[in-house]
Amino acid sequence: MDKLLVSPSPHLHTKTSTKSLMRDVVIALLPAVVVSVLFYGWSELLVLGVSVASCVLLEYLITKYLLKGACTIGDWSAVITGVLLALNLPATTPWWVVFIGAVVAIGVAKMTFGGLGQNLFNPAIVGRVFLLISFPTYMTDWTKPQGFICNALADGYTGATPLGIAKEGGVAAVEGLDYMDMLFFNIGGSAGELSAIALLLGFAYLLIRRVIRPYITLSILATVAVFSGIFWAINPAEYTDPLFNLLTGGLLLGSIFMATDYVTSPMSNWGGVIFGVGIGLITMLIRYFGAYPEGVSFAILIMNSVVPLINKWCHTKKYGR
Amino acid sequence: MTQTIIWTIAILTILGAALAIVLYVVAEKFKVEEDPRIDDVEKELPGANCGGCGQAGCRAFAQFCVESEDMDKCFCPVGGNDVMQKVAAVLGREVAAKEPMVAVVRCNGSCENRPRTNEYGGYQSCRVKAALYSGDTGCSFGCLGCGDCVAACQFGAISMDPATGLPVVDEEKCTACGACVKACPKAIIELRNKGRRNMRVFVSCVNKDKGAVARKACKAACIGCGKCAKVCAFDAITVENNIAYIDFAKCKLCKKCVAECPTGAIHAVNFPVIKPKPAAPAEGAAPRPAASTEGAARPVISTEGAAVVEKSVKKEE
Amino acid sequence: MMKTFSIGGIHPSDSKISKDCKIEVLPVPSKVFISVAQHLGAPATPIVKAGDQVKVGQVIAEPAGFISAYVHSSVSGTVKSVGPRKDLAGNNMTHIEIDVEGDEWIEGVDLTDTLVTAIPEDNKAILDKIKMCGVVGLGGATFPAHVKLCPPPGKKADCLILNGAECEPYLTSDYRIMLERSKEIVVGAAIMKQVLGGCPAVIGIEENKPEAIKAMTAAVAELQSTAKGYEGISVMTLKKKYPQGGEKQLIDAVMGRQVKSMGLPIDVGAVVQNVATSLAVYEAVQKNIPLITNVMTITGDCLPMEKQHNYKFRIGMPLSYIAEVAGGVPAEAAKIISGGPMMGKAIANMDATTVKGSSSLLYLTAEQTVRGVESACIRCGKCAEACPMGLEPFLLQKYARNSMMDELEENAIQDCIECGCCLYSCPANIPLLDIIRLAKGDVIKIIRGRGQR
Repeated sequence: MDKLLVSPSPHLHTKTSTKSLMRDVVIALLPAVVVSVLFYGWSELLVLGVSVASCVLLEYLITKYLLKGACTIGDWSAVITGVLLALNLPATTPWWVVFIGAVVAIGVAKMTFGGLGQNLFNPAIVGRVFLLISFPTYMTDWTKPQGFICNALADGYTGATPLGIAKEGGVAAVEGLDYMDMLFFNIGGSAGELSAIALLLGFAYLLIRRVIRPYITLSILATVAVFSGIFWAINPAEYTDPLFNLLTGGLLLGSIFMATDYVTSPMSNWGGVIFGVGIGLITMLIRYFGAYPEGVSFAILIMNSVVPLINKWCHTKKYGR
Repeated sequence: MTQTIIWTIAILTILGAALAIVLYVVAEKFKVEEDPRIDDVEKELPGANCGGCGQAGCRAFAQFCVESEDMDKCFCPVGGNDVMQKVAAVLGREVAAKEPMVAVVRCNGSCENRPRTNEYGGYQSCRVKAALYSGDTGCSFGCLGCGDCVAACQFGAISMDPATGLPVVDEEKCTACGACVKACPKAIIELRNKGRRNMRVFVSCVNKDKGAVARKACKAACIGCGKCAKVCAFDAITVENNIAYIDFAKCKLCKKCVAECPTGAIHAVNFPVIKPKPAAPAEGAAPRPAASTEGAARPVISTEGAAVVEKSVKKEE
Repeated sequence: MMKTFSIGGIHPSDSKISKDCKIEVLPVPSKVFISVAQHLGAPATPIVKAGDQVKVGQVIAEPAGFISAYVHSSVSGTVKSVGPRKDLAGNNMTHIEIDVEGDEWIEGVDLTDTLVTAIPEDNKAILDKIKMCGVVGLGGATFPAHVKLCPPPGKKADCLILNGAECEPYLTSDYRIMLERSKEIVVGAAIMKQVLGGCPAVIGIEENKPEAIKAMTAAVAELQSTAKGYEGISVMTLKKKYPQGGEKQLIDAVMGRQVKSMGLPIDVGAVVQNVATSLAVYEAVQKNIPLITNVMTITGDCLPMEKQHNYKFRIGMPLSYIAEVAGGVPAEAAKIISGGPMMGKAIANMDATTVKGSSSLLYLTAEQTVRGVESACIRCGKCAEACPMGLEPFLLQKYARNSMMDELEENAIQDCIECGCCLYSCPANIPLLDIIRLAKGDVIKIIRGRGQR
């Protein structure tokens, strides 16, 4: 080194980078991905492949030709959006519907706001909700394709999600549903909802690697448990029980991987708690009283919109003040 | 059916009228009384909101003009004398014309003249760099090259020359608002008069180190030798703290100092380039080192030409 | 449950490579250049001129104001010149150049190793000695020690905290003196606590230095059993977390109190001094030796073990000379730092000389220290999580880039201690501290200006 380098302190830097954080999220999603592919087979692989490939490709094309700026696909954030979008869709979704979802997620929800760090709403959820509203038939087609390994989804439930059944037929219709099945590999619904245990594994990984803080996820789950607990205690014949609500309808997927998205969640711990409680409440209101059987996506989107406000209110505890 | 239409129209009309009345009342009640001349003056201003006049923006300047007694204190550097005449006309006052100014970068420290002694690896901002240390060359007075002035200029008049690493002022675009002067932590940029036919002579260095130290850091530094001050017939040049300064109010653009400067730190710009006869090189050009060829990156500087013009000026006198 | 500060903090690898290298005494070079700005506050005024003969320990510059300090000659010989010379940042500062001849000390200095445990009774005389010997805080800020030891009227010290945390990675000089000069440090602590009115004294040491904790505990116990005036001194083990050694963080960790914004430690009854300062106080008061030496670490991952050193240096030695004696600058070194890697200064000029507060020559490789390319903020909040002052650097940098002074002040930018945790932990390589440090200066200027009006 012939010339000394001079820069302001500090002179050391953490090894953690945007890229490594995003990569960790992808790794945390792997268990859920593996389980979904095993159980839903080739059609799930196709959905995943189309979703990830089109998200990355779209981001590349938009940064290169529309924004004419630095290419940002190296930071893995487009991959996350792709995987999350795929896990939020039924395995039977046709490839062109998936592609439209990717266009909306990356093109509309992310890049129009200025790319990573600027978007107000979680791109994957915007993509999913857009598809849910535009193509409701594809999005609620829960027929089970052939998986790679045999599975034992109880015969009576293959055609719909547990929440859907509960909405239609009331609590009685879902009685006898085995929670152990849900905890492991047997929840009907979107690909990512299949196994609670796979999702919790990812959650543990994210916490151990200190990628996310637990406040948002835990406050969502706690709110859902408490809210449904109160209603269930009052009238168990009318309302589904807390455990059922925790394990179904993508609540875990949403609360672990989507509500905790850095960009679209509050920065402070207390802000995170408010955000989480909000999501939990809205989710349960939709589930119990709304027209849709499932409300996590809508709840997250609604709370995304108030994040700037939460950030304005909730500041960190300052030293000496 | 018809009734529905009539009702709709009626309700909308009444609603519109009612709201219009509310709006009118509110507007009247909360009306801010302002001198109407402020609006008139503001219309004449360029609307750049640059703050070059010392006020917060064009409207604040308009208010300042209206309220101030003395028009001499008001000057919009962007609009210049034309705009000030118009403003004075609006206010029914007289205003004396001011000499037009331009920003001048006083540093010769190109990559070639001023070798780098270390590498800067922090945030690319002159202020951050200046707060940290003396800079990545041996000269602790010169341009830091991070372009704070470029960022400060609202008129796109300053750009960094990648070849020299120094900022270059586009005289056409420069409005002498002074934003770059304020932005430069090393106080290198100065507002000087545009001069007759844009011709200017200035010392392009602010190094206050002793001659030997300054020279070691930069080949084209002012070494404070004072030769220029001695040769100046108009007392326009002062040497203080090892640095020469040319008072533009006194300078008659004779350019004797330019030829005299041993390091080529004095620049003469925009002088007509007179092609020297190849056979007869002017005697004044001989002692000057090649260092000032760097000046070619600046508007127009011709060493030979300068010497020739200088001779002719001498004859005229 | 070990104590630590309550907000934020980071855990960089501590890299105390040179911790087992004994303190060696550096040979005196043929020439020294002693800066008159070796402390926080006004540079001292030189009182010698070219041609003067000086002895080791003789005053060569006097304080120029209340917050200023005496500077002493570290060698004997002839003053060659008094004039500007570039410091380690490349800026001109007045230096006194002395040609070394022999090693003749001033009168009245006790150069023996005997431990003097009896503490003088006259507090005023002690303070005078500390002031006359030019003792400044050696923890980094080099604030004149006697000023800190005289609480303003109406304020009382409840606790003297000795900072032995040495939370900066790589540095081992405090660790070595805690091992090798433990008793002297305890005597210094006893002197300071007596001056402060007999408050208890706590020596805070991080858990990653068990030998130092052992040595200091033993020294305290021995002195308490053999001499008078040592009651109320204790050693406290602290959790390892950066910036434990920050004044405000240490007060929080040890006393559980927090200094108010823009306030001083004495407002909550705390006085914090570094262990090296305590040693300097001992030498000044008990031995009449002015502060002309200190211990510095020569280290870096790219240095082989035999080139790692802890040196006792004298002020005014050129850094290039020290590097040479230590075995040369390694070829892999991209950046040389004076001080720790978190808050130290990168050296632009190796011809600069040592000052009272010099604590290291740290060689970092390009791979370790070159910053990554800045990318977009992903709002992960890691900077806010790391900030030991509970600030929100992501917000401050945004306001600072837009010169929003009122918002900056509202969000307490003036409380920033420039510890570097935010920039260290930013995954997007945003130059948070670079920007915040500058804006902090502007905001403090505004606040001060308001106070004067």
